Amino acid sequence: MSTDLTIEDVREDAGLLETEEPLDLAPVQKIVESLEDRKGMLIPVLQEVQNVYGYVPEEAANMVADLMGIYRSQVFGVLTFYTQFHLTPRGRHIMRACSGTACHVRGGKAVISKLENVLGIGHGETTEDMFASFEKVACLGACGLAPVIMIDNDAHGQLDPVKTERILENLREMDMMKRAEK
Amino acid sequence: MGYESDKLIVIGMGTCGLASGARGVLSEVEQQMDKLSIEVPILKTGCIGMCYQEVLVDIALPGRARVTYAKVEPEMIQSIINNHVVKGKPVTDYAIGQITTNGEKIYKGIPTYQELDFFKKQNRIVLRRCGFIDPDKIEDYLETDGYRAAEKALGTMSPTIVREVVKKSGLRGRGGGGFPTGLKWEFCSNAAGDPKYLICNADEGDPGAFMDRSVLEGDPHAVLEGMIIAAYAIGARYGYIYCRAEYPLAIERLIRAIEQAEERNFLGENIFGSDFSFHLKVKEGAGAFVCGEETALMASIEGKRGMPRSRPPFPAHRGLWNQPSNINNVETFASVAPIILNGADSYAGIGTESTKGTKVFALTGKINNTGLIEVPAGTQLKEIVYDIGGGIVGGGKFKAAQLGGPSGGCLPAEIIETPIDYDSLIEAGAMMGSGGVVVMDERTCMVDVARFFLEFTTAESCGKCVPCRMGTRTMLGILERISAGLGAMEDIKNLEELAQEIKNTSLCGLGQSAPNPVLSTLRYFRREYESHIKEKRCPAVVCKTIISSPCQHVCPIETDVPAYVTLIGQGKFSEALELIRITNPLPAVCGRVCHHPCESKCRRGDLDESISIRTLKRVAADFAAKEEATGKYKINVSKISGTGKKVAIVGGGPAGLTAAHFLAQSDFSPVIFEAQRVAGGMLILGIPEYRLPRETLQHEIRAIESMGATFHLNTQVGKAISFDQIRMDHEAVFIATGAHVDLKMGIPGEDAEGVYESLSFLRRVNLGEEVPLGKNVAVVGGGNTAIDAARVARRMGAEVTILYRRTRREMPADEMEIEEAINEGVDLQTLVAPVQIMISGGRMAKVQCIKMELGEPDSSGRRRPEPIEGSEFEVEFDNLIVAVSGQPDLSFLEEGHGLSISKWNSIDVHPYTQMTNVEGVFAGGDVVTGPWMVIDAIAAGKRAAAHMELFLNGEEVVPQYGVTKPNIDPVEAIGLTEEDMHLTRPGMPTMEVEKRLRDFAEVELGYTKEMAMKEARRCLRCDTEE
Repeated sequence: MSTDLTIEDVREDAGLLETEEPLDLAPVQKIVESLEDRKGMLIPVLQEVQNVYGYVPEEAANMVADLMGIYRSQVFGVLTFYTQFHLTPRGRHIMRACSGTACHVRGGKAVISKLENVLGIGHGETTEDMFASFEKVACLGACGLAPVIMIDNDAHGQLDPVKTERILENLREMDMMKRAEK
Repeated sequence: MGYESDKLIVIGMGTCGLASGARGVLSEVEQQMDKLSIEVPILKTGCIGMCYQEVLVDIALPGRARVTYAKVEPEMIQSIINNHVVKGKPVTDYAIGQITTNGEKIYKGIPTYQELDFFKKQNRIVLRRCGFIDPDKIEDYLETDGYRAAEKALGTMSPTIVREVVKKSGLRGRGGGGFPTGLKWEFCSNAAGDPKYLICNADEGDPGAFMDRSVLEGDPHAVLEGMIIAAYAIGARYGYIYCRAEYPLAIERLIRAIEQAEERNFLGENIFGSDFSFHLKVKEGAGAFVCGEETALMASIEGKRGMPRSRPPFPAHRGLWNQPSNINNVETFASVAPIILNGADSYAGIGTESTKGTKVFALTGKINNTGLIEVPAGTQLKEIVYDIGGGIVGGGKFKAAQLGGPSGGCLPAEIIETPIDYDSLIEAGAMMGSGGVVVMDERTCMVDVARFFLEFTTAESCGKCVPCRMGTRTMLGILERISAGLGAMEDIKNLEELAQEIKNTSLCGLGQSAPNPVLSTLRYFRREYESHIKEKRCPAVVCKTIISSPCQHVCPIETDVPAYVTLIGQGKFSEALELIRITNPLPAVCGRVCHHPCESKCRRGDLDESISIRTLKRVAADFAAKEEATGKYKINVSKISGTGKKVAIVGGGPAGLTAAHFLAQSDFSPVIFEAQRVAGGMLILGIPEYRLPRETLQHEIRAIESMGATFHLNTQVGKAISFDQIRMDHEAVFIATGAHVDLKMGIPGEDAEGVYESLSFLRRVNLGEEVPLGKNVAVVGGGNTAIDAARVARRMGAEVTILYRRTRREMPADEMEIEEAINEGVDLQTLVAPVQIMISGGRMAKVQCIKMELGEPDSSGRRRPEPIEGSEFEVEFDNLIVAVSGQPDLSFLEEGHGLSISKWNSIDVHPYTQMTNVEGVFAGGDVVTGPWMVIDAIAAGKRAAAHMELFLNGEEVVPQYGVTKPNIDPVEAIGLTEEDMHLTRPGMPTMEVEKRLRDFAEVELGYTKEMAMKEARRCLRCDTEE
């Protein structure tokens, strides 16, 4: 991951500079304080923080560093090393397209282009309406059903561009219905 | 009815099952049971390995074999429950196998697992419980000998003995390295320090490998038990399972399994009533491939960036938190319990000298039976691909298998008999790796595969050491250049040198093995790299920048198919024709008789059926011709000035006509010498009129004439005018005299009256000569010429039988031509060959034939026909038409012509420039290739014209290779709608059979404008794909 960006740049890109409400950091405190033993717990803590916010906000990362008594740079280093961590808010749905070997030789590229075209975003990006984030990931381990994508926690296999589009349409419909209910 | 605990419904709920819709099946099962008010326990298992058959549902009734239903859809459930669960009658239509574990009675009409090809050669030790137990229930595990090995080890064996047993078993690390497991344990055991840590590497990140996931999901306790035994053998009090976050289900099941084991005191303090304590935790990875490397993995557990460090010190001495640590992978741990329980010898008895026991492979890619298999080490790749894997998807040809993912290499078809063990693989330039086997067919480009892996390793390189960080990136850059058609030959050398450097100097296994896929593809597929570099061709039609779109790249003249198809979809027929004419002066001809390699590579064909590219071309040409007849449209041709250099073209067939067209376009003055009284060559002498109406051909020849090309008809070179004279009178010569001499079968009686040779037979009929034909006619051969001769003979009133020595599947003729011949009443007799023609009264009377059978495949991959001894029989025929093959007639060349001639009596040329060994003399078409395809002759004429132009302009004749590009600015795609995706390829409307046989009128009627426009909308526009 490129590290030329500062947190400010990232936040500006994500339109976060004008956040009106300050972030509620109580959950971070709770997560760190509930640790029995802090040894080696940085990654699990960050994973939990991400579970709460859907991403790891800068304030939260700083707070983790302060509470655990480690440098903020260490935390930032870990956050940018692992592909699982996100520094910007993510869409309501996470689309992970497998770019593993089996998917590749069985036409995964066309499925990925379809996803990118329909969503209008590329790897690591989120749609403007926060409907979905898209990322290409290393093998999802469902090679027997290549090509595969994972939407949230559900794997969809034996895809082609047409099936992919249909799945996305259904998801968007369900997403709209859910939002309307709210 | 009510709760029936003696019955069981099993549903595969591993990731593969869930991805195929297992949840929907489960809820349907529950609904159906509700409806019938019955309740049968449902077992949700992990994966049994048959990914290609998911969703899998098993039904077990008391005392009866357990039956497996495959590819289960919710609609099938009602019938399965009603018939099988309630009435005890399995639905044989859906069942694929049955299995007994305790002598249960088997059902008739369903194969047992042992009879299934997929299982026959497997030996399941690690996977023995996967798919058969509920991974969430420790009771299921205990019932199948679970934790008995741990109990035995902790209760009756000392740690030293445990290590000795594992050493003696020959078990080697299954994560890829292959280090002897027992020895590794000993190192850690001997190391000073406390506490010691035991780590399970479940960070299975190799693309193409998922055996660890399946074991964790299907049998998590087996991993726990192996770890408990290992911890005991080493003296480790703490353990971690480092599992990648991409496997949420595996993590969930592991955590549950650990809780269950703790409850029963299999984990924790003083386990199994001993004084040994072992605590186990799951650590979730956070997405970094490099964490599969042991030192990086430990850094990650410590909560740091997962970067490797140099060794020594080795983890056995200083590992996690600087304490002695031991790491093994999932499969290794899962192999431990059976070794302890059944003894070292039982395990060492399986496999080869260097590799003991079994190995789990994830079999994926272009193979029919994808899934997880476990075979004795030393099993041949061939057995895995064909016997277990069921061969290549769609009957394709096996090209290579990639083993060991981004660290491994490929095994090509030539060494498919390699036994799969650690040492044989290293020797072949691959490695066992974690066990991913990705099968590739002819549609896989090896340069693309190498690029793909390098892209992966470059992205996953942690960046700590320079060789890996910069080296892999540089290699990737070179590969990207090559796959974009911008490579140079020294790139190959640079790749090899860089690869060696990176291997020798990288810090960890990731970098050290990253170049392997490149080295191994270079070793076995160097020619493919050279194609990309030198000829700008991607033989597998994959590399986007080189091919533009598959149809255009495989077209010998690179017709811009996607653009003209789109124009047709928009109703712009004459614009489409003009686009086609940029590359092809004979569109109406090709729209009828081209063998359309484009359609065989059409990506739409992977979805349903390929686009009807050939017919669309015909529609464009016919439509424009009609408009032309009414004066609404005029073909746009340039006219020569007449001052350009004179070029002779010997032969007015497709190659000669095409060369004339393109030479005229560049304002040279082409002069065609044609022996017959009409131009067209094989298009008129070989192809019957019902396939290519004469006026259609003449219309296109007239267009070439109108450009100013001179035609000398009835002018046989060598008789009417000497070849030397032609050379003297012209600045350059293109020889395109075709291959019009029939070859004989070489059997007795072939010269008898009544026996015809197909080429001369067709030529005489096509030129309007009287050819006497009896009532019963046999045609020998299976190519298009044989079919042509048969259908012509039908139209001349004969009853026709085709005799072919192989089966219909092997016939080289166009499938549709065969179909139409049969429709017209031609009798197709396969697996027969004539051995003798019997003569009576001076002419042929009978044909003696012999029956054939198919033997082993020959070099072309077709099974060789072999005669069945003693099966001779005689049939009466009035005539026999022999359509075996043909060759060129070069008798027109004078002594001392100096041209290089092949042993097939064809002219040798540079395959791309078409120039012969004599400067200024070019040749192309059948005179070079022997009887071959129209489009290839056209392509030869086109290439010859381009390179003759170089010659005529005094430039060096070097091949003008280039990547495939659209001929015009990309025509905007129409955009596929849902409706377009449901459109199907229309069949070809044809004339009724009774009408056809009356004369030689065209059989195929073509599409209407509306049909064509609709068909064009099915195009996926691969050229616009990024």
